[in-house]
Amino acid sequence: MKSLTISIAVVAVLTAPAIAQTELRITHSMTGGSNRDALDQIIANFEAEHPDIAIEQIVFDDDLYSGTGLITQLQSSSVPDIYFQWAGYPVLRDADAGYAMNLSDALAEDGWKDSFLESVWTEGAGTLVDGEAYMVPMSIDLTNTIWYNTAMFAEHGLEPPATWDEFIALIETLAAAGETPVIEGNSELWPLGNWASHIASRVVPVEEYEAAFNQDGPFNTAGFTRALELIDQLQEAGAFNRDLQGLGADPAMAGFFQGAAAMHPIGSWLIGSASELADEGFDYDQFDTPMIDPDHPLSDSVIGTVTGWIVHDQSANKDAAITFLKFFTSEESQTIWAETGALLSPVAGVNDSADLDEKTQSVAAMIAEAGSMVPPPDTTYPVPVAEAFYQAAAYVAAGERTPEEALTWLDETIAAMGPQ
Amino acid sequence: MASGAANLLFVAPAVALFGGFVLFPLASAVYYAFTVWNGFSPPQWVGFANFQRAFADLTHLFAYVHVTLYILGTLVFEVAFGLMMAVLLNSDRRGFGVMRGMFFSPMVLSMTAAGVLWAFVLDYRTGLLNATLRAIGLDAFAQPWLSQSSTALFAIMIVSGWKFSGLYMVIFFAALRRIPRSIYEAARLDGAGPFAQFFSITLPLLRQNLLVCILLAVTGGFAGFDLFFILTNGGPFGATEVPATWIIKQAFDQNQLGYGTALTVILAVVVMSVAIAYLHFSERAHVTRY
Amino acid sequence: MSHATERRRTPGEWLQLAVAATVVLAMFYPTVWMVLSAFKSNREIFAAPFGLPMDWRWENFAEAWEVGGLGELYLNSVIVTGTAVVICVGFATAAAFAFTRLEFPGRRALYRIMLIGLLLPPPVVAIPLFSLLRDLNLLNTLWALILPGAAWSLSLTVFLMSSYFNSVRPDMEEAALLDGANIWQIFLTVSVPMVWPAMLTMVILNTINIWNELIFALLFITDEDKRTLPVGLVRFYGYHSTDYALVFAALTITTIPILALYFLLQRHVIAGLTATAME
Repeated sequence: MKSLTISIAVVAVLTAPAIAQTELRITHSMTGGSNRDALDQIIANFEAEHPDIAIEQIVFDDDLYSGTGLITQLQSSSVPDIYFQWAGYPVLRDADAGYAMNLSDALAEDGWKDSFLESVWTEGAGTLVDGEAYMVPMSIDLTNTIWYNTAMFAEHGLEPPATWDEFIALIETLAAAGETPVIEGNSELWPLGNWASHIASRVVPVEEYEAAFNQDGPFNTAGFTRALELIDQLQEAGAFNRDLQGLGADPAMAGFFQGAAAMHPIGSWLIGSASELADEGFDYDQFDTPMIDPDHPLSDSVIGTVTGWIVHDQSANKDAAITFLKFFTSEESQTIWAETGALLSPVAGVNDSADLDEKTQSVAAMIAEAGSMVPPPDTTYPVPVAEAFYQAAAYVAAGERTPEEALTWLDETIAAMGPQ
Repeated sequence: MASGAANLLFVAPAVALFGGFVLFPLASAVYYAFTVWNGFSPPQWVGFANFQRAFADLTHLFAYVHVTLYILGTLVFEVAFGLMMAVLLNSDRRGFGVMRGMFFSPMVLSMTAAGVLWAFVLDYRTGLLNATLRAIGLDAFAQPWLSQSSTALFAIMIVSGWKFSGLYMVIFFAALRRIPRSIYEAARLDGAGPFAQFFSITLPLLRQNLLVCILLAVTGGFAGFDLFFILTNGGPFGATEVPATWIIKQAFDQNQLGYGTALTVILAVVVMSVAIAYLHFSERAHVTRY
Repeated sequence: MSHATERRRTPGEWLQLAVAATVVLAMFYPTVWMVLSAFKSNREIFAAPFGLPMDWRWENFAEAWEVGGLGELYLNSVIVTGTAVVICVGFATAAAFAFTRLEFPGRRALYRIMLIGLLLPPPVVAIPLFSLLRDLNLLNTLWALILPGAAWSLSLTVFLMSSYFNSVRPDMEEAALLDGANIWQIFLTVSVPMVWPAMLTMVILNTINIWNELIFALLFITDEDKRTLPVGLVRFYGYHSTDYALVFAALTITTIPILALYFLLQRHVIAGLTATAME
């Protein structure tokens, strides 16, 4: 027994230099802009404080990341230790598939869990599965708001609309003046899809909405018909850019910053890209999708979601991963995250104490004033169902199908895919 | 020459490599096709459920329509156009050698480079094609080529034609060079014009090459993935969804590896059937060749 | 050849030249546009898509090389392609020699099985191959591209090498056998030198195919430092889809050497590519 202990000790001594530096592999989709600057800065601080841990970032652009990029890595034999994910359905799926590590015990230590805003640990936030935490929240994203070019609005004497009818009138004014009212890059379907589902969540009765996305009820209802009729109204008014369906999300954003259109409905991450894409002196602002049905319980909702980090269950460096995530969510790092990264921190108190830029403040204010926050369907319900809905919305926005035809197509498509 | 089991050593490396990385995956595909599998937890046997779903999956069925149209397009823009250019560029005059080289050059670019380049050429706002149309006053013809279902597949056929017509030109050119000039001279003396010469001499003599080229285009077309992936990734509205892009999406975007493999088995059966016809065809062609 | 150009061109020949030149120039123009745009600024590409750059921004190339890590991509592509091509052509030549010159049990059956790959597109096995490579711990290594790349090229290479062996009479090999050489000596000293031109053609053909391979490289490699050129370019385009000048510079750097190599080896490349259709 003794000799065994000795030999283990010898082996430990012999192998000690080899394990002195742990390589932590982190994969995400922040390719540039101020988010990435903030992340790089936090990682540099971390490596300075923990010389025994080196961090390797594996970066994909958005489209590839949510497509083949992440899944191939999760299934690989050399898995990433930490990966970026959206809260909600993806967390549930990853926990079920055995990719995501249960972080409840780690979060219970030293009051780590309590350092976050309480709202990120609610059932609706999508960070928990059966009451267990599988995600360390990273930021709170507004999934969709309508950004507009202030100079172009001023030129045509326009103000942010308060009602849907005013919104349509504004679009008609812009279209008549030869401008492209709205630019959207919908080749991946989620940009317009997120917006369309926000509109739907405000006009479709809540149970009907939930039932349809959970495959417990049809989409071809009066409520969803009305939602797609609103999209059809936009299309009829000439709202969209002609290459809506083939344009990528990033080129569309670049187009907005180059003045190709008056408005660009997309998430709060636009602020982080402005530094890279906008010209000097370009100014922009935002308004939420205007009031549609004042009587609907979610009439003044915003659409948004939590994003965060997941530790891979097969990671060989779980302790180091947790050390990093604690560092990442420390108040000091989160202040960098909010100030440099222009993102809303999920850590309690940071957004109030940090010196946020004006645009980030306006997003924070919008979330604070909203009556509720609805999550985007592709993070809440089975992804194939959500994507089929996005496609139905895209059909209508392109004028290729009427709302009724699109919904009939949608119900048939979902029936064919079977329970997801 | 010699005979005996020792001679197997010569084929052993090739057979081992082929067995390990082609045949074994192929066999396991047949098994996975009958399972629900996320690639991580163990596969669950579900019988024919994946196949039932595949035949009810409209996007999947339309992928075969699109790939058929694409193949027809490649026959026109690659094979027929390549043949036309081979005839046109068949001259010893100064400049024709350079032109043949230039015409062939897209073939040397990687598919990715060609795809990315053409994504820029076809861009609605800033692309070369629309800029050219606007510059010559044809503003009305400027289209979001890759962003509307009516033109996207056609646009990919054109890109494919740009990329591959050089290959077919070279094949036909090599064959044209084998046709003795005396045949044309005799026809000219009989008063046959260039078109009559093409249809009565060139085309019949190139018949075998043409058959091989057509079958090459057909079997190659089914595997089409790269250009579709880069230019449209199946969009808009699945108008350019082909079997390969749909399979990769099911398996690696949606994490449904069982269903994805069932689709690959269907693709394999379809391609094999077409290819067996090809082998049958080319074996007959071989006999009548010289 | 030179005497042919001395004759005056007939009107028909002028027409042929005009039509051919128009088509060829139109086809070649996108490549020229790519190279010229690589020297411009983004603003100039949008404002003046045609014509020469106002000033030649050579720094675009340095930036693209740096930002895209193109050196590493080139190196990986060279390693993957070189190794896979050597394995494939070596194995296939030995196999084709055995299939056409030797007798052994299962010869016809094995040959037929080897040709299955001619009929199948690689996406068909992408999924099971992925899990096989994972089980072998090869994902995210260059072997994940080398071994499947070589294996998938075997069918065509074995097929074409066998046709070539069949087109050459086995006289020299039989003579060597009578001189008392064993089959290994015959293979290495007689057959390989004899089929060397065909092997070279196969090297070129497989180099083009493996160099350009995208789907396996997309699925089996995720680490940035092990990516090959085609995937690197797709990623680069995804990151910088709005920075035209940078993407054009990257496209130009990755394309021009290949084009130059092609014009240098034109005859062999064409022989390689036409081999498929001629057999």
